[in-house]
Amino acid sequence: MQKTTVVVIGGGATGVGILRDLCMRGVDAILLEQQDLAYGTSSRYHGLLHSGGRYAVKDAEAGKECIEENTILRKIGRHCVEQTEGFFARTHLDDEAFEGKWVEACAKVGIPTIPISVEEALRLEPNLSPKIKSVYRVPDAAIDGFRMVWQNVASARKYGGRVLTYTTVIGIEQSNNQVVGIKVRNTLTGEVSNIACDFIVSAAGSWAGEIAALAGINVNVQPDRGTLIAFNHRITSRIVNRLRPASDGDIFVPHGSITILGTTSASVNKPDDTVPNAKEVVELLNIGEALFEDIRSYRMLRAFAGTRPLYSADPNATGRGASRGFVTLDHAHDGLKGFVSVVGGKFTTYRLMAEKVTDLVCGYLNVKTPCRTAVENLVEDTSPALMAKARLYFPAYGAELAASRLGSEGLEKVIARIQEKPEKRQLLCECENVTMAEVEEAAADSTSYMISDVRRKTRMGMGTCQGAFCTFRSVGAVDANGLSWGKDTNVLFKEFLQGRWKGIRPILWGNVMREMELTRGIYEGTLNINGAIDNEGI
Amino acid sequence: MREYDIVVIGGGLAGLMAAAAATKRGKKVTLLSLGSGTLTIGGGIVDVMGYLEGGIPAATPSAGLLQVGEGHPYKKIGRPAIEESIRFFKEICEQEGYSYIGNLDKTQWIPTAAGTLKPTCLVPKTMDTTELKKADKVTVLGFDALKDFYPSLIAKNFKKIPAFAQKEYEVVMVDPKLSEGRDVTALDVARWLDTEEGLASCIEKMRNVIDSGSVVIIPPVLGTRPDYAVKEKLEKALGCHFIETASVPPSITGLRLRTMLVRYLKKNGVRIVEQAIVAKSIVEDGKCVAVITEGVDRERTYYAKSFILANGGFYGGGLLAEPGKVIEPIFNLPVEAPTDHELWANYSLFSSEAQPFAKLGLDVDEKMRPLDANGKVLLNNVYVAGRNLRGYDFSFEKSGNGVAIASGYQAAMSV
Repeated sequence: MQKTTVVVIGGGATGVGILRDLCMRGVDAILLEQQDLAYGTSSRYHGLLHSGGRYAVKDAEAGKECIEENTILRKIGRHCVEQTEGFFARTHLDDEAFEGKWVEACAKVGIPTIPISVEEALRLEPNLSPKIKSVYRVPDAAIDGFRMVWQNVASARKYGGRVLTYTTVIGIEQSNNQVVGIKVRNTLTGEVSNIACDFIVSAAGSWAGEIAALAGINVNVQPDRGTLIAFNHRITSRIVNRLRPASDGDIFVPHGSITILGTTSASVNKPDDTVPNAKEVVELLNIGEALFEDIRSYRMLRAFAGTRPLYSADPNATGRGASRGFVTLDHAHDGLKGFVSVVGGKFTTYRLMAEKVTDLVCGYLNVKTPCRTAVENLVEDTSPALMAKARLYFPAYGAELAASRLGSEGLEKVIARIQEKPEKRQLLCECENVTMAEVEEAAADSTSYMISDVRRKTRMGMGTCQGAFCTFRSVGAVDANGLSWGKDTNVLFKEFLQGRWKGIRPILWGNVMREMELTRGIYEGTLNINGAIDNEGI
Repeated sequence: MREYDIVVIGGGLAGLMAAAAATKRGKKVTLLSLGSGTLTIGGGIVDVMGYLEGGIPAATPSAGLLQVGEGHPYKKIGRPAIEESIRFFKEICEQEGYSYIGNLDKTQWIPTAAGTLKPTCLVPKTMDTTELKKADKVTVLGFDALKDFYPSLIAKNFKKIPAFAQKEYEVVMVDPKLSEGRDVTALDVARWLDTEEGLASCIEKMRNVIDSGSVVIIPPVLGTRPDYAVKEKLEKALGCHFIETASVPPSITGLRLRTMLVRYLKKNGVRIVEQAIVAKSIVEDGKCVAVITEGVDRERTYYAKSFILANGGFYGGGLLAEPGKVIEPIFNLPVEAPTDHELWANYSLFSSEAQPFAKLGLDVDEKMRPLDANGKVLLNNVYVAGRNLRGYDFSFEKSGNGVAIASGYQAAMSV
């Protein structure tokens, strides 16, 4: 039986943040994730590092937390953050009276808002609608949710942290009203096991209610579903928020070469209700037109949906009515010692949430080491010498990308693979500039069990062709390295392409339709990965 | 004003076959081509009918033809014409020195690069599996740096196929030394083998890793030209049998087929206009008078007595999809599609069902003329062929190229 001091449930931003914080303070900890890291909400949002402007009017506390954490994450997570800055733009459809209220509210919590002329805004962002009425600059930024999670884990591992993916919690073991362990099931093998521990922290997000229920405790988390669209263009270089009270479809976030438009909001019963539909996409496009008039002429990559874990002590508050603040629930008050849930909050404040929870846990464990997550970088910067070496093996643009994605340790390992077999510098995924060596490195990690896991670590398959070419290559490369994780390779093909399909299906028109005809032509028509293995003809 | 007998719109297999059949009938033909259609994607193999509804394999292509549903293009074309079209296609291949093997009465299960088998009807000789079936030992040969071919994937998966499980597999690699920092595709290797030095060098390298008498599975790299020179030279020098797999694009087998058909058409006096984007048509009294292309320079008008519309489906741009709506851009022909976009596609990408969106397309009569919702012929001198036809999902049923050949032929014979 494995033993540890603290078990953290949930491999999203909050969970990995807690794991890192605990390990940095010298506390032994294991993190459990039911799927792959960042599978849940932390990868199913727009990737906006909030300045706080979005919350200032309605939730000053959340606004203040955002601007503070924004400043910290820009520094410690600089390889995950693109410092784009943001606009708040009021369109001709929006209430002028709100503008003044918003400026005032931002000022109150320390969010800088710099008014600029519409003319200047259009010069900086030429795709913006010329009909907009006023524009402010704010310190918004774009943040890569996958990378952030992954780099937190990489850092936690350096301090002894352990991570088990595809591990679902099926029981909380207690003795005399004190947590003594946790019962888990490996979702890939079905194997059930126990981990002895003194403390359990649930950072399960939308699933927090379900986890607490295992201990007979009621935690009121209402999953709220949001659908987003990823466009295959950098429509805007800055984040563009619509200057109006928070509503559907009013944020555009650029990431590398793409742009994400979000989001809708609807209460749902299940935390994993993440299948977007065509109607939501059409609605988002209709709303998005107010900021970018020719939104329909841009090629969409996919739609996706995630659930926000909205917490309310009041079981009747839902959707945008619920607070975006976070709460740490010490279930000692419910009669079970050694069990804490952290609920609510948002990606931007994950580090702060982790700090508060870790403070609480450390208090119980009598650990006095102070929190250092606000000052220590997630990954070390790549040294000039290593960058120079990387440039020998990667194309110029690819070297920077790979360095940011991998951190210096990962980069060293990938370079070593290329040195050993130079043809592995070839791009396995042309859309996202991912080399075969990088895919192999990600596949070899102990948390990888299928191609989608490799995708979340590398971005392979996330570009224009959505896996039309790199799915075949990644399965081939993984298999050639003896790493098909005990699965039939046809299962690997299908799992990955079905994952892409989930996001393509609701936007199946225009060029996306063309792309899909190609993808099906390759995998179903030519490679027959769906065909019967039984073939009487032979 | 030059008037042709027939203007064929589209340079994929359906268009090329339509043009070929039309010239055989002595017609004066112009072919407007915007590219190679899906021929260079996966087009070198002629599937006719592999799987029926429910994902059940058809016993033979011929049996499959008889079992298709009412709306299927094969139903419109009819079996005799399908048989004739296949015969005609094989005749052209034979005549051009790049013959295809197979017939409607036998399914050929050919190896794919994923290590599966796929059912098809006609294949070039480079994909003949006769020796593969007989062999006790099979060599799978890959090329270092070719990122689109993984021999171990094939060897391992063949072990799982009942009929292939008893064989012994060996994986060997040849380094073509083509990488030098850039990415290598099957086309690069095929071009290398096209040259005398490349071929000689490859033979030397192969001699070191394969034994004489071996049956060797390789990626489709046996030359880019529509002949069997590379295959024959390799086999003679090494005493081996080579079998190409069905692979991811670029499709070398498709490239060979296109090269051959274009050569045949040119020999037979077909005028081929490349980079022709047909933008609109002139229609008078239920007949098309001309189509108009938009190029980089100016509009051009092509007059003809008849027109064959073979410009592809969604992939080729012959059909355009919008939420809940499909548009045929040249003639604005009606396409029936569910207005609720959710009904266009199944939740599962791969299952035992065809995808509804793949079946969207133009409805035609038995002469391949476009019909309205009431079954009335809309344009008397326009004929439709290939992927823009409704009622079939080529990926699912494995009927790609079969429908193209049969419908292209039928359209040309109906003119």
